[in-house]
Amino acid sequence: MSDNPYALEKAKVLRVYDLTETEKLFLFRFENSEIAENWTFKPGQFVQLTIPGVGEVPISICSSPMRKGFFELCIRRIGRVTTVIHRLKPGDTVLVRGPYGNGFPVDEWEGMDLLIIAAGLGTAPLRSVFLYAMDNRWKFGNITFINTARYGKELLFYKELEAIRDLAEAENVKIIQSVTRDKEWKGLKGRPQQFIVEANTNPKKTAVTVCGPPRMYRDVFETLINYGYRPENIYVTLERRMKCGIGKCGHCNVGTSTSWKYICKDGPVFGYFDIVSTPGLLD
Amino acid sequence: MIILRYVKLPSENFEEFFNSLKQWGEINAPVKQGNIYSFKKVDSLKEVSLDYTRTMLPPKKFFVKPRDELLKLKEGKWEESNGTKPVVLFGVHSCDIHGLQILDKVYLDEPVDIYYKKRRENSIIIGISCMPDEYCFCKSLGTDFAMTGFDLFLHELPDGYLVRVGSVKGHEIVWANEGVFEPISEEDLKYFREFEEKRANSFKRSLNKEGLADMLDLAFESPVWKKYEKICLGCGNCNMVCPTCRCYEVCDLWVNAYEGVRVRRYDSCFMESHGLVAGGHNFRPTRLDRFRHRYYCKSYFDPSAGFNCVGCGRCDEFCPAKIEHVKVLDEVREALK
Repeated sequence: MSDNPYALEKAKVLRVYDLTETEKLFLFRFENSEIAENWTFKPGQFVQLTIPGVGEVPISICSSPMRKGFFELCIRRIGRVTTVIHRLKPGDTVLVRGPYGNGFPVDEWEGMDLLIIAAGLGTAPLRSVFLYAMDNRWKFGNITFINTARYGKELLFYKELEAIRDLAEAENVKIIQSVTRDKEWKGLKGRPQQFIVEANTNPKKTAVTVCGPPRMYRDVFETLINYGYRPENIYVTLERRMKCGIGKCGHCNVGTSTSWKYICKDGPVFGYFDIVSTPGLLD
Repeated sequence: MIILRYVKLPSENFEEFFNSLKQWGEINAPVKQGNIYSFKKVDSLKEVSLDYTRTMLPPKKFFVKPRDELLKLKEGKWEESNGTKPVVLFGVHSCDIHGLQILDKVYLDEPVDIYYKKRRENSIIIGISCMPDEYCFCKSLGTDFAMTGFDLFLHELPDGYLVRVGSVKGHEIVWANEGVFEPISEEDLKYFREFEEKRANSFKRSLNKEGLADMLDLAFESPVWKKYEKICLGCGNCNMVCPTCRCYEVCDLWVNAYEGVRVRRYDSCFMESHGLVAGGHNFRPTRLDRFRHRYYCKSYFDPSAGFNCVGCGRCDEFCPAKIEHVKVLDEVREALK
C-alpha cells in the first residue's frame, strides 16, 4: 500500500453469517481489485479493522490464505466498535490495514501431524490453520481438531465442522467438538485436555496449536507434555490490546528485563519456550 | 560517520549566533515557568534559561506529541494529516539526546513511523552542557555525554562556549555563521576537561547496573514490588515525563458531522485500561503488575542500545509519592541477596 503504516484500505462486506448469538462471520473483499487479488497472509496473522469515526480493532483472520480474493473475520459483539461492526450489511464498506504479526510457521510443519486445540473464540484464528491444512492436505499427516466452548450454542463453526465430519474421517482428519458447562448438550462433554488422548496424531511428530482463554493454557500444556508431545512443537496465539499492530504503541509489551516481547510484532504466535522464558505472556 | 569539528563561540557573539538560528526553524528553548522549566517557542535570548536542570516534559513532545493527529476523515475518505514545520531545539541536555535515540530505535524501526521520521528530519538539536542536581544519575548509565544524535553541542567555557559539531546540518550551520566562531585554544580544551571532571565528580546518585537485567529477571516475585504497590499512587506522572516512555492510545474523534480525525495521545502503563482487552480480561490487573511492568520496561537491556532508562531523574522529581527509581532497584537487589 503506501509508505504510511497507518494508511487504510477500503474493503467491502460481501456476506454476513450468523454463527451464534454474539458471533458473526464477515466475508470481506478489498475494493481495489489489484490489492484484493494479491493480498495474502499467513494463518495466525491479524488485521486492524476500522469503522470510520468509531475506532479500530485487531481481529484474527479466520479464512485460508490459499483462497484468494477475499478474507473472513469472525467477530464477537463485545465492545463499542464490534457492536457497530455487527450492524454491517453486505455492501457496506470498512477500512482495513494489515496483515500484522508473525503467523504460524506452517511451512516448517510439512510432513508432520497437526493437533489443533481451540476453546471459545480461539476457534477463529485456528480455523485459518485448519483450512490451510485441508487445502494442502498432502503436506500434513493426521489432523485432529478439538473445538470446545462453554455452551452448545456458543460452539463456533459447529455446523461447518459437523458437515465435513464423515468426509474428513476418511481423510484421517478427526473432529472433536465438546462443551464444558452445558448440561442439556447431547454431544460430547469435557474440557479440551480430556480429548487429547483421543487424537489420531503421533506425539513425536505433531505440531500443536492452542488458542483459548488464558486460564485454559496451563492444563492443556501439562496434558500435552504428559502424553509426550514435544514442547518445541507447541504453539499458541495470544491476544492483547493492540493499538498499532506494528510494535510502536507499547500496549502489548510484555516480559522481563531479559526477554521483552511485543505480542503484535514478535507474536501473536509464540512457541512453548517463549512462554516459559517470558513471565506474563500467558496471563 | 561525522567527523567532529570543534570551534569556539565567544560570549559576545552568542546572541548573534542565537538569532541566526531563526532561519533554520522555530527556536524552542527551556523557559522558566513558576517552579518548572519547559521547552517553549522563544523569540529572544532573554527569555531562555540555559542554566536549567530539567524540563518537565522532555523534548519527545516535539516528535511524539501529547495529542497527535494521524489521519483525517474528509468527504468519506481518510487522508494523512501533516503539518511539520522545522524546529530548532536549543539547549538539550545529553540525557535527553540519548532519550531521543532510544525513541528512534522504536519509531524508525521497520515499519517506519512516518510522522515521527518527518519531524525528526525537520529538527535541529543543539545540546548544552549541564551540572547534575540531586536527582541525576545519568553517569552510571553512560548517558552523561552525547557522541551522536545532535547537530551542535555547546560546552560551557568561562568566556563563551566550546562547540562540538555532530552532523552534516551542524557543519552547515557553522559554515553559514563562520564569522561568529573562533578556533579553539589549548586553554579552552584544558578548561573543558576540567569542567567534565568536575561534573563527573558531582553526581550524588548512581544506579548499580551490574547484571541489572539478570537480577530483575530473578526478582519477578520480589517482596519489594509488594511494598511499593502500596506506596505508588498509580497516577502515571512518571510515564508522561519520561523521555523514553512512548505508549500511545488511539482515539477516533468527530470534528463536526462530516469530518473526523484519528488522534493518538500519550498513554500510561499505570492506567488500568492499559492491559485490558475486549471481554474484560486484564493482563495486568493489579498495581503490582503495572508497577513491575514499568521497571522491567525501563531496565530491559537491548544489546545494541543499552537500557531504556537515561537517568534524567524526571520520574523521581515529579513523583507525588516520592518513589525513587534508583532506590527501588537497589532495594530489589538487596532483597535478592
